[in-house]
Amino acid sequence: MTRSVSVKIDPMQIAELKAELERLHSASFGWALSCCRRDQTEAEEVLQTVYLKIFEGKARFGGESSLKTWLFAVIRKTAATEYRRRLLRSFRLTGDPEEMVERFAINEAQSAGVERSELQGHFQSAMKSLPRRQREALHLVFYEDLSLREAADVMGVSIGSARQHYERGKKRLRESLATMELGYDINWRRAGNPSAV
Amino acid sequence: MTSIGEEQEIRALFSELKLADEQTAPGFTAVWHRAQARSLRPRRAFNLSFAVATGLLVCALATLAFWSTRSQPVAPAAASAVMSAEASSFAPRAEKSTVAGAPEPRQYSVPLVKNRVRRLVAPRHAQEIAASQQLTKEAKAIASWQSPTSDLLSSPSDGLFKSLPQLNENANELKSFLPNRENDKEK
Repeated sequence: MTRSVSVKIDPMQIAELKAELERLHSASFGWALSCCRRDQTEAEEVLQTVYLKIFEGKARFGGESSLKTWLFAVIRKTAATEYRRRLLRSFRLTGDPEEMVERFAINEAQSAGVERSELQGHFQSAMKSLPRRQREALHLVFYEDLSLREAADVMGVSIGSARQHYERGKKRLRESLATMELGYDINWRRAGNPSAV
Repeated sequence: MTSIGEEQEIRALFSELKLADEQTAPGFTAVWHRAQARSLRPRRAFNLSFAVATGLLVCALATLAFWSTRSQPVAPAAASAVMSAEASSFAPRAEKSTVAGAPEPRQYSVPLVKNRVRRLVAPRHAQEIAASQQLTKEAKAIASWQSPTSDLLSSPSDGLFKSLPQLNENANELKSFLPNRENDKEK
């Protein structure tokens, strides 16, 4: 548990911040979900920790960027810290990496329950197969409607680097979606007519 | 499929995902209140990793201190402490009476320091004495060494080479040091 000195913000500031956070809540949750590999429980916990950090003054908005960008950067950092902590804890408890992998597989299966359509399922699998940076860039641009500069600020990289992640991610996503769709078509045709193909 | 069309497709997939997430998202008020409740909850006072790290650090420091005390030569401060302690034991009693008015130093401190210093110094001192004795022995042995063939170098006329004629000797004795000229002429 972090034990840094907390600075209390005055209630007026908190009230203003609370209104802004409420406005951004659903977007923040979506981003937290993306940072937590679509694990809802973990995403909720991360968001809670982020609100706690803001409430206690551990995370302070300096006004260098937009509130949304700042909030997303805090969420990203908190999710990374929580993930590391969780990983360490589970290694300490189980001491078996294979069991650990199984546990994550269960989590993934649970989150798969949310998947609606078949195409959405393929899309989410394709997203999970992407490297983290590429996934983040795509999510920030397409899901959160941020510009590349804002995405770069959230990711803590240069705009050139963010653009590269975005382009590569888009290309890979397109490729894996195409592969999945093709595979799906073949399977579907085989199921309908086994003699075909 | 054109790239714009693909982008639109990706965007559509993302917006579908966004809609699904919005439906499952927890309420802001609930999350905020839980965060506030967490901030009010008392923190765990004992942090295991912090305690382990502190313990390791203390152990390392203690080992370093012990090692440095053992490996260093006798510190001048310690030596002076021994000297002063010994000097104070031989000091006349009268001196003490002259400073009777002044506050006396603590009685237990000098013997304690003395004992500790002696304990630390004694083994090293003994080693140094043994080493110097060994050195003296070796030096003596080297000084008294004689070659086993030194007797072969000695001859009966060694006395002539090693001595000088004295002025108060008579002429006949001096002749023995002069070259034999008559014999040279005959030749």
